[in-house]
Amino acid sequence: MIQNITIKNNEFKLHPSGAIFWESKKMLLIADVHLGKVSHFRKHGAPVPANAAFQNLEKLTEISNYFQPETICFLGDLFHSKLNEEWQDFEKWVEYTKAEVILISGNHDIIPKYLYEDLGVKVFDELLLEGFHLTHHPSEIKGTFNFSGHIHPGVRMRGVGRQYLRFACFYKSENQLILPAFGNFTGKHILKPSELDEVFAIVEGEVICVSKKNS
Amino acid sequence: MHHGSIGKDTRLWVEQAIRNESLLAVVATSSLDLGVDFAPVETVIQIGGPKGVAKFLQRAGRSNHRPGEPSVIYFLPTHALELLEASALKRAVKEEVVEDRMPYLLSFDVLIQYLVSLAVGNGFFPKDIFPEIKSTFCFQGITEEQWNWCLNFITLGSQSLKAYDEYKKVEVTPEGLFKVESRQIAMMHRLSIGTIVSDSMMLVKYVTGGFIGTIEEWFISKLKIGDSFVFAGRTLELVRLRQMQAQVRKSTKKSGKVASFLGGRLPLSSQMSKILREEMQSEADHKRNTPELKALSDIFDRQERESIVPGENEFLIETFKTRDGYHSLFYPFEGRFVHEAMSSLLAYRISLLSPISFSLAYNDYGFELLSDQFLDIQTVLDNNLFSAEYLYQDLQKSLNYTELARRKFRDIAVISGMVFQGYPNKIIKTKHLQSNSQLLFDVFRDYEPDNLLYLQAYRETFEHQLEEGRLRQALERINSQKIIWKQCEKATPFSFPIITDGLRAKLSSEKLADRIKKMTLLLEK
Repeated sequence: MIQNITIKNNEFKLHPSGAIFWESKKMLLIADVHLGKVSHFRKHGAPVPANAAFQNLEKLTEISNYFQPETICFLGDLFHSKLNEEWQDFEKWVEYTKAEVILISGNHDIIPKYLYEDLGVKVFDELLLEGFHLTHHPSEIKGTFNFSGHIHPGVRMRGVGRQYLRFACFYKSENQLILPAFGNFTGKHILKPSELDEVFAIVEGEVICVSKKNS
Repeated sequence: MHHGSIGKDTRLWVEQAIRNESLLAVVATSSLDLGVDFAPVETVIQIGGPKGVAKFLQRAGRSNHRPGEPSVIYFLPTHALELLEASALKRAVKEEVVEDRMPYLLSFDVLIQYLVSLAVGNGFFPKDIFPEIKSTFCFQGITEEQWNWCLNFITLGSQSLKAYDEYKKVEVTPEGLFKVESRQIAMMHRLSIGTIVSDSMMLVKYVTGGFIGTIEEWFISKLKIGDSFVFAGRTLELVRLRQMQAQVRKSTKKSGKVASFLGGRLPLSSQMSKILREEMQSEADHKRNTPELKALSDIFDRQERESIVPGENEFLIETFKTRDGYHSLFYPFEGRFVHEAMSSLLAYRISLLSPISFSLAYNDYGFELLSDQFLDIQTVLDNNLFSAEYLYQDLQKSLNYTELARRKFRDIAVISGMVFQGYPNKIIKTKHLQSNSQLLFDVFRDYEPDNLLYLQAYRETFEHQLEEGRLRQALERINSQKIIWKQCEKATPFSFPIITDGLRAKLSSEKLADRIKKMTLLLEK
């Protein structure tokens, strides 16, 4: 169910939750959780099921128990909007988790930096680690490989008989990998890959390479 | 030109110009069907099938709108088979056949909108309002439990709650008055009042400024930059898309794709379908006794050469292969909705026999199952797959049912105020409050499947969209008919409008991972 890929001699595991585990650094990369989105909607009169809010943190706990990472790095849009009740649950989660937590700030991350730092969460705009460039918005620095989020990538597949299906995916081009959105109340943005791109779709708890190119 | 999507100023101007007779002719959609009286209208021309007798009569009545005066209407078919509808309409009018209206019962989305509207006003006491609701025809069956659910929904967001939930919509004062206190929530509600939900709309504007109208997003999404399309009586070229705006300039081309609206896709009514089948019978008998049927003779001759024209007691199935795959066409002549239901029912039942995937298409005359595997119709017949038994269970299990409910839920989500469609003529929606009903539907399915609004989507899909009663009758009729399976060389005149239909649904019993192996990624061109 997990896909292993190698980038610049480093091993990475692509997990069906949308997270990536960087073996040598024991680091978990997670993008676009959008915590607090459900509560934000509810606060403004849209009755999204409240239970959906708690599922994200449960999923985070499950995956960190599975990989036992030393670091968990969020690639932006960890929180959807302003501070709300879901922050308290996040506080508890940070306290509980053994890993160091890092946030690369995204466009939705409008919660003040010091609140994160009070919890021991380090906040950066970007991070350069051994030739790997971690950002929220996809970006390019020569000679580095970029991991990012923001896009919520998805692909559309066509079958005979004009069938179409859409999936969230890990989207890899030459020097870049865009992670799918981890949050359960997030949409997808459909991309059209070129022949050179590699696409790993998330299909019923499995990560499947659906592109011709496959490293 | 007059339709609901052009700017209001233009619409009012057109209406005034009809009244003072400064316009000789107006091209309109159903926007002029109801509520507006234009005494000077002399003639109505119906372009394309009206799909129902009542609708046709209503439109005819727009002309010579004075007591005792005869109305005049012409019918202009847009494709050959609509001539058959013309012939059927004439008979229906002569025989005074008109459709019944099926009421929507217990539509909780409408009730919730009504209650929030009351709360946005002076507020309400439930004990005063419950008897009023109960006295209406559509809510006479509401239970105490359902009523309380609705009250909980607007005040607490749902049933089970955490103590510190921040849900906010309707608040209850110490006296027990249900009232909306937040100005923002009140305004968002006022902007969303109404029960007609359209597809998500884009503004059409000139690059230089001027506003032309609004258009459904799905139509624009099919165009490429530089394509030209006909909208509001003008040929326009798409220059760029910016957020929810389509910026255009006047096109030098003479023609382009004509803007269309999903709302325009109405099904043939059951009364019309019946008469249509009778007309078909007289065609099969080579009577050709009306001018319309005479005009159709070329097409029917061709249909007879490639296949047959089915008579009243015959049910036609055609199969052929093209590079798209194996096509199986069925012609119940029962209208789009029944065909939609019947196609997914049949596809589901076939898929129980062996793993197979279908893509489904339908129009008012028939439906198609398209697959990458050959489908042996004899197995379908041998296994009695047109049976009306286990109809409800089988429909529920067909994947398509969920997809239909998902579509229905879109309206419910908007009417009940779960999705805010944004401020009028503003591109920026409320910050961080963008979502869509698709996403909500999935969240309800996973986390709150007993939500009455979520369940309503399924119920209304079954009763209204799939027209259960009509579907059952149609299946019973098919079972009493003689089934004729024609293995054709190529697409027949009857099949052509169906196989070229762009809107398709899918059904599959193959494992997703297996299906994906057969699929190809959509690459950039």
